[in-house]
Amino acid sequence: MTFLMDFKQNFIEEDRWKFILNGLGVTLRVTLFAVLIGIAIGFVVAVIRATYEKTGKLVICNFLANVYLTVIRGTPVVVQLLIIYFVIFASVRVDKIFVAIIAFGINSGAYVAEIVRSGIMSIDPGQMEAGRSLGFNYIETMWYIIIPQAFKNVLPALGNEFIVLLKETSVAGYIALEDLTKGGDIIRSQTYHPFMPLLAVAAIYLAIVMLLSFLLKNLERRLRNSER
Amino acid sequence: MSDKNGNDKKLLISVENLSKRYEDLYALYNVSIDIYKGDVIFIVGPSGSGKSTFLRCLNRLEEPTSGNIIFDGTDITDKKTDINKHRQKMGMVFQQFNLFPHMSVLKNLILGPVKLQNKSKEEATEEAMALLDRVGLSDRANAYPNQLSGGQKQRIAIVRALCMKPDVMLFDEPTSALDPEMVGEVLEVMRELAKENMTMVVVTHEIAFAKEIANRVIFMADGQIEEENDAKEFFENPKSERLKNFLAKVL
Repeated sequence: MTFLMDFKQNFIEEDRWKFILNGLGVTLRVTLFAVLIGIAIGFVVAVIRATYEKTGKLVICNFLANVYLTVIRGTPVVVQLLIIYFVIFASVRVDKIFVAIIAFGINSGAYVAEIVRSGIMSIDPGQMEAGRSLGFNYIETMWYIIIPQAFKNVLPALGNEFIVLLKETSVAGYIALEDLTKGGDIIRSQTYHPFMPLLAVAAIYLAIVMLLSFLLKNLERRLRNSER
Repeated sequence: MSDKNGNDKKLLISVENLSKRYEDLYALYNVSIDIYKGDVIFIVGPSGSGKSTFLRCLNRLEEPTSGNIIFDGTDITDKKTDINKHRQKMGMVFQQFNLFPHMSVLKNLILGPVKLQNKSKEEATEEAMALLDRVGLSDRANAYPNQLSGGQKQRIAIVRALCMKPDVMLFDEPTSALDPEMVGEVLEVMRELAKENMTMVVVTHEIAFAKEIANRVIFMADGQIEEENDAKEFFENPKSERLKNFLAKVL
């Protein structure tokens, strides 16, 4: 049977399945840490931008945030990845995974920032007034009162952003990082059978995305239920 | 200092020549008034007369353009004053309640005391439950704001402000967003507060209620205090023509 033989050749012989498994590990690690960096950058930038829009303060910070957003959203993530690896870290020996995490984190932060900003702007100004009238300062009110509500409102959009990020990490092969996609491609180049390794890679991405969507839906429902 | 009845009263808030200008329009112009401890001051007047602006300037939710507000001996319009410290002592109740929808009622109540006044959760909860009990809502402590009626929300909002143990309570049209049948329960809570000698400044359209519990009433028009008097005189002997007209329409 050719199917079984193909399978054996592509995944069993010479332990080729390890390319897939190790690649998956790299992809998941890069995505997870890039998401965390993206959230951190995104929330800070969103608060700066929303503060500027509402109060006219933080002019310089807002300017820098705007430059960041324009540059990151205006250039392809592959180019950003290449620049960070070959230009910024050119003279330093660094782990490629680390470079990928930094690049995708910075990239994701720009998109998260705009999502979160829209969430902050959607909260009734009365919430800020109520927080301030109790004696909380601006940042405390943001932290305890505005951001939790904004986060809940933008959770679907944020989830979508993370799903996009997971798939975007597949270009990490450009800096020869052996992620899931690269792993499948290495098998293809060794066996000259593109069908099986690439379909396996696709199936794994699909499975992770479906799992993420399911988890997000659950989280969303849990958060909504708490209000009713 | 003593009031008109000769009783000694402690000056709590002294407003001096307060103005608030938007572009080329004065929402408030040269408003001055002294508020004493235990005063229940109602501010009435037509829409757009600046009464809400005045109230919101008192805790600087609205930044005054000029003038001074001396609260308990401190000029809180001074930029060097930490307004957040003083706001803890000025409870505010909003027309739209502004409860925090992502927190249970109890969390709404203890957030301020725990985070700002360094109270333990247990102590804050105990105090909050005692106050909840007094407004008849202790069974709703674990509910979320969206599960409550308007009247219940406003009573919770009042309790939230009271949990900070304020020296004065500011009410910005507390019953205007309520269904008519729920107004009574909120007024009842305010009545109780007045009885306990809480200092209150209330912006409202409930003229009959002003008549009942206010000791002083202010009539505002065009951003200025048109007339100010103790409640009895205010309603029985209005002096200005505008106030007479206003009272004729609303009473």
